[in-house]
Amino acid sequence: MKVNFNNRDPVYVQVVRYFKQQIATNMLEPGQEIPSRRELASELKINPNTVQRAYKEMEEAGLIYTERNLPSKITKDEKMLHSVREELIIEAVDSFVASVHSIQVPFEEVVAILKEKYEEVSDENKRGESND
Amino acid sequence: MKSYLKLTNFEIDRFFKIYLVLIAITVTVQIIGTIIVANDYMNRASRIMNEESLQTSAFIHNYGYFSLLNLMDSLWFFGPIAFCVAGLIFYTFFIWYRDWYGKNTFIYRLLMLPTSRLNVFFAKATAIFLMVLGLIALQLVLLYIEELIVELIVPLEFIQFTSIPQIMNAINSAYVVLFPKTFIEFILIYGTGLIAVFTLFTAILLERSYRWKGVLMGAGYCIVASGIFLSPVLISELSGNYYLYIGEIIILEVALGCIIIASSIWLSRFLLNKKITV
Amino acid sequence: MIEVHNIIKKFGRKQVLKGVNFTAKKGEITCLIGINGVGKTTIMNAIMALTPINKGSIQIDGKAIKKDTFDRITFIPDAITVLPHMTIEESMQFMRDYYKSWNDQRALELLSFFKLNPDEKIASLSKGNTAKVNLLLGLALDVDYVLMDEPFSGIDMFSREQIANVFTSHLIEDRGVIITTHEINDIEHLIDKVILLDDGVVIKQFNTEEMREVEGKSVVDVMREVYQS
Repeated sequence: MKVNFNNRDPVYVQVVRYFKQQIATNMLEPGQEIPSRRELASELKINPNTVQRAYKEMEEAGLIYTERNLPSKITKDEKMLHSVREELIIEAVDSFVASVHSIQVPFEEVVAILKEKYEEVSDENKRGESND
Repeated sequence: MKSYLKLTNFEIDRFFKIYLVLIAITVTVQIIGTIIVANDYMNRASRIMNEESLQTSAFIHNYGYFSLLNLMDSLWFFGPIAFCVAGLIFYTFFIWYRDWYGKNTFIYRLLMLPTSRLNVFFAKATAIFLMVLGLIALQLVLLYIEELIVELIVPLEFIQFTSIPQIMNAINSAYVVLFPKTFIEFILIYGTGLIAVFTLFTAILLERSYRWKGVLMGAGYCIVASGIFLSPVLISELSGNYYLYIGEIIILEVALGCIIIASSIWLSRFLLNKKITV
Repeated sequence: MIEVHNIIKKFGRKQVLKGVNFTAKKGEITCLIGINGVGKTTIMNAIMALTPINKGSIQIDGKAIKKDTFDRITFIPDAITVLPHMTIEESMQFMRDYYKSWNDQRALELLSFFKLNPDEKIASLSKGNTAKVNLLLGLALDVDYVLMDEPFSGIDMFSREQIANVFTSHLIEDRGVIITTHEINDIEHLIDKVILLDDGVVIKQFNTEEMREVEGKSVVDVMREVYQS
């Protein structure tokens, strides 16, 4: 697990975002146990209080749940999982659109380049996988 | 109490190497001195007896017996004692300053121990006191050994045997400090020593608390303490009025000594708790 | 909670601390920042009653420090506090002898965490390892508060990393930590609270996450603002 934190966003927000990415890409599966506050703190080299805060936020948002004294687990709520994915996609597209828009590229041109680049990346990934 | 004993043991351990050096120097120099002084006497005796054709008894009559007192008047004997005294006086300062100025700042640890800081003070004082007593015990044993050595070199008819109590009666007054004749004297002499150590420690702590200003305060404290302690004697001597009997003066001195010790402890406790700076 | 209330400290005629106020909570890492000579070490010494203050008060969990408090709070200065001729093992024994709060199990854990050889003499340790022994002797005490003076200064990168790892491990768990530094980079993500000192006073104190959340500023951003204006 390796996260590059930036210094200007709250670290707990960055931790939550990191979990959402992991959930959206199925690196963390529904019902999977997550590390304890202490484990995650030493793994990410951040303050345990910050991890605590991130877990609290995720618990309140329904991303994770805790039964009695057992370790917290990723939610099994399909709707929630789906919305995490949606949220990440929309977030990414939003920032993409914002930067493309600021250099005033016509929509059709963007789509063409997007398609080309997307295929390139997918091919590379496929080649990478077959090489393994 | 447990911490105090552990700290005392610790302080003795820390000084032990230098202490062993002091002991080694004393033993070596005094024993070499004994051999030399005894040989000198015998050389002189045979030379004079030869030159003046004297019998042993005539020589002894004119020039005196050999006794340990011959040795004790020589530099061989009091040299190492003076050296040890100087060493211990030096260590009275060093025992504190090493903790501030040593390679590692041990004073941090000493002041952060979960025990009364006064225990550090008492442990250092006790260590010095025990080492003084140790050296005196060593000297008594050494005198006995020196007497045996003398007997090996000097024929018995030249020797005036002197037991340690006899020596104590005969020796010059400076050695009274080393070998008190009575228990009362012992208490008075070493009580005075203890007062001196406590007073010096307090002066050192004043310096450690107030630095340059503390040097003056420390010197002032020493002067006032010795002034008070010596006042009964000084007043009689200066005024020429000897109102008090010697016994009364002793009682007065004991009382004053207790006051000085108590005030040193009280002041040191205050300084260690409230004013000391690492 | 450690409460430092309006402390004033003079060295001769020079006022070094001109009324410093702050608190440090248990379970939080509080960082005192300021240029060298601003009085960070003096504040730590004052908290531990290692130097007198001219005015103000310092309380630890509502009480002034006394002898038993040293089993509840410890200070790790930037110089080692045991004797050079001791081995690491002997210095641990020394601590065990005097402190009720000494925790042998944790000491062993720290020993292996820092990869130290207990038979090595203090005098022969590298600078980095000396700093680690210093931390070991402090952190092996089961105390509520740990004060650390410049734990990262003058040591190599790998030792710095190892020491930073201590802060996120269970070795610090639930304690209150006050740390001084003039280099924030190693620990920016580790600290809860920052206290910026300048010219003998606290010029700003803030919670790091709050600062990022509300103003979108990193600790370094705030430092730049405060010190370069």
